[in-house]
Amino acid sequence: MHRILWTLGLLALVVCPFVVTSPYYLHLLVTIAIFAIVTLGLDVVFGYTGEVSVGHASLLGIGAYTAGVLAFQFNIGFWPALPIGIIVTALFGVLLALPALRVTGPYLAMVTLAFGTIVQILINEMVDVTNGPLGIKFSTPLFIDLRQYADTVPLFDMSLKRMKEVEYFYVTGIALALTILVINRVLASHFGRAFEALRDSPIASDCMGVSVYKHKVIAFVLSAGLAGLAGVLFAYSEQYIAPNNFSFELSVQLLLAVTMGGRKSRLGPILGAVIIVFLPNLLADIALFRIAAAIIAGIAVVSSLVMFVRQDENRYRNLVPVGLCVAFFAFSLFLQKITDYKLSVFGMMILFVVYYLPDGIVGFLRKILLDLVPALGRQRHSDDLHGDDADAWAASPPQVQKDAPLLSVDQAVMQFGGLRALDRVDLRVRPGTIHGLIGPNGSGKSTMMNVLTGIYIPTSGQIAFEGQAIAGLKSPEIALRGIARTFQNVQLFGELTLLENVMVGLHHTYRSGFFDVALSTALSRGEEARATQRAISILHFVGLDHLAHEEARNLPYGKQRLLEIGRALALDPKLLLLDEPAAGLTAPDIAELVQIIRKIKDHGITVILIEHHMDVVMSICDAVTVFDFGQKIAEGRPADIQNDLRVIEAYLGGTAVGTA
Amino acid sequence: MSILMQLVVSGMAVGMIYGVIAFGYQLTFATSKTLNFGQGEALMLGALVGLTAINFLIGQSLGTFWAYLLMLPIVLAFGALQGTVVEWLGVRQAIKTKSEAGWIMATIALGIIFKNVAENVWGRDALKFPSPLPEASLSFWGVRIQPMEIAIVIGAIGMMLAVEFFNRRTVVGKAVVATANDRDAAGLMGINTAKVITFSYALSSMTAAFAGVLVAPVTLTGATMGAVLGLKAFAVAIIGGLSSGLGVVVGGLILGVTETLTGYYISTGYKDVPGLVLLLLVLSLRPSGLFGKATIKKV
Repeated sequence: MHRILWTLGLLALVVCPFVVTSPYYLHLLVTIAIFAIVTLGLDVVFGYTGEVSVGHASLLGIGAYTAGVLAFQFNIGFWPALPIGIIVTALFGVLLALPALRVTGPYLAMVTLAFGTIVQILINEMVDVTNGPLGIKFSTPLFIDLRQYADTVPLFDMSLKRMKEVEYFYVTGIALALTILVINRVLASHFGRAFEALRDSPIASDCMGVSVYKHKVIAFVLSAGLAGLAGVLFAYSEQYIAPNNFSFELSVQLLLAVTMGGRKSRLGPILGAVIIVFLPNLLADIALFRIAAAIIAGIAVVSSLVMFVRQDENRYRNLVPVGLCVAFFAFSLFLQKITDYKLSVFGMMILFVVYYLPDGIVGFLRKILLDLVPALGRQRHSDDLHGDDADAWAASPPQVQKDAPLLSVDQAVMQFGGLRALDRVDLRVRPGTIHGLIGPNGSGKSTMMNVLTGIYIPTSGQIAFEGQAIAGLKSPEIALRGIARTFQNVQLFGELTLLENVMVGLHHTYRSGFFDVALSTALSRGEEARATQRAISILHFVGLDHLAHEEARNLPYGKQRLLEIGRALALDPKLLLLDEPAAGLTAPDIAELVQIIRKIKDHGITVILIEHHMDVVMSICDAVTVFDFGQKIAEGRPADIQNDLRVIEAYLGGTAVGTA
Repeated sequence: MSILMQLVVSGMAVGMIYGVIAFGYQLTFATSKTLNFGQGEALMLGALVGLTAINFLIGQSLGTFWAYLLMLPIVLAFGALQGTVVEWLGVRQAIKTKSEAGWIMATIALGIIFKNVAENVWGRDALKFPSPLPEASLSFWGVRIQPMEIAIVIGAIGMMLAVEFFNRRTVVGKAVVATANDRDAAGLMGINTAKVITFSYALSSMTAAFAGVLVAPVTLTGATMGAVLGLKAFAVAIIGGLSSGLGVVVGGLILGVTETLTGYYISTGYKDVPGLVLLLLVLSLRPSGLFGKATIKKV
């Protein structure tokens, strides 16, 4: 399927200049290709990581002005400008992303919006460098001079002007094709999985050693670099740039293009680029605008009729957008001069798309297509993946010092306002053991887990893992030192398959960087193959390999807990923290779970187990620590704990035990 | 020295306006973790509606001062209505579907529409807003201050104090605070959190509209007046922290004064730059803002 699309696309690219002989339309195609590069890049940030950038027009402007300043001040031409433009724009991307993405929330949108305004002001003000509001003129480069062959191979109009146009068309076309290729490869790699994982569950990503912050920055910088590439191409295509080419409205149009075309696809942003390139024409000509409004209203009415014929359950709710479409057509007839209300129409389009086309045109069509031909939805996978328990484990068992404690917590205090969730707790975990943490609800067990994995920073006290202090480190750093965990309320990457979930855990095994992935080097392909084999083996170990290509959110609850354990094992941990793994499991599932935990221990991995099922705790733990009200009240072998008076009091309540 | 004092004093008035708008961002961010990207347009609409109202009232042979006072309730009511519309059209659906991109794009779209409509109703030219106070400057120890600048500072602080008082002392206000603390828990206690969020938007746009008529007499009014102010207030909200009332006052003052200083000592063209620089600096060093509290993640 993909191969066919690629062939068709490249064929269209080659043939186009022979078919489209009008310079106007050829230029329009070039413009579409340039905007498609921006929207495809924007989709990586907006569609995949879920962050909103309202500054991509300014990034485009920075690329264009880099080319402009190079040409205007230093007389440097197209080819050097291309890489320099990409690098400069990517650096601006770093400057914005590093601060703005440190915190979750709408900060990136706010920062990029402010950035957009400032960039326009700066370009206008720095007259010496940018020529200010007057703008910069370019001349389109001629890449290969073919005029001498004009008589021998008269392929098309061989005038200098036409030749420049056609060559420039090919250059932008190739740039677009390369952009699609690179984005496809990056999204299919461990980077792409990280982008999707961090949106599904940021906390689980961090605890798998996949830093949310770092990967959001990578996505934004990639996106900025592509905007820079498009900027250079834009400058030489338009042959003239001025500050108001790169306005706030353009940034919003780019967002509209991605949303309206369809997020998380290649086709959607390209379709969006087509729409926004034609939009100004559409909004300038009232007759054209009325025709477009009529077509949209017609489609809406027909689709509504179809829904009524099919007795669709949403047919009444659907009347609202259909009514809006018809009203919009009436409005277009009523309107005399469209230019005055151009921006309002544009605003209404955004509202309509946000409300009624959240998956975009491509998403909408895909849904219809899947309704008609369900077979297309089933993805075919090579079934030659076979898991082997032996492959599930790291090449060598974890190297830990046998005599010293693997983990030692000293006087840990965790204060939340007036509540002391951990009160001067000491804990020693010996390597190679299963250490149980028990206690009534709210006694501080899960807080302890969160402190150990860097989600909370303890108010005071020391935590040493393998003799090194880890209190205050960020979750991904702690994870990469060898502490993996599962979560009390399951935190899977719901939209990824089981296999991909485990492969996110294997992220740390990759050495290949961004360029290895983009160039698809032997290193990156080898790592991907090894990680896939390892992941299927881990799934086999937890008994889920037959569901490898299922989306994680479709799993029943008990299996989700097993998958979390598998994902945690992928991190090759020295210490595994299991937070109530048996909660909600049936008796046979629990028996299976106990077997799995035992095997994990046999492979040299130390386990800390929080659990309320006392039979589980008492049967597999080597040592047990009991918490109550944030304090450690008892510690010892399971048998001793069962007879400890304070423990009985904590669980059964009352003061009778103390006095009896 | 007196030049420096003069710059600081002029910066304070504009800084307080930034502060009030940023305060509006905080109000909705507290209840719903969303904010109105068209807040600048809410301010602009408030100023323009105020302009029409005050001109009508002056036409009824009222003095400018009394016309201004009578105009205030109209503007406040309009602001509340406008905020309700924004929440209803732009935010409600996005909160339901938990789509951050949804509310950001919808509020931007509404802002664009409001601006375009204002251009068509009031025209594209900047208009003079009648000043309720004498325009002659007062002089204190060589520093000249317009009476309206003093009114801006007093009005801005008064508005914020009124909202704070309302939140702390009334039942509705306590529902707002409860929703801000924990929306789910507040909902389970029988508070209609959807209404509280709508209310916070009404309140937020009301403060913006009020800021509009405060600032209008010292600047000019027009469809484009809101965009830059709304943007500056973003910087203030982040510098001060999205959760701290004191933060926006201090953040606003810092930004306002820095801008007038940059404008005088470097170039007026560059006076918008320190806002972004401060914004990026604060986010790098103290992401929760100078006065904000770091939030506790829940697992």
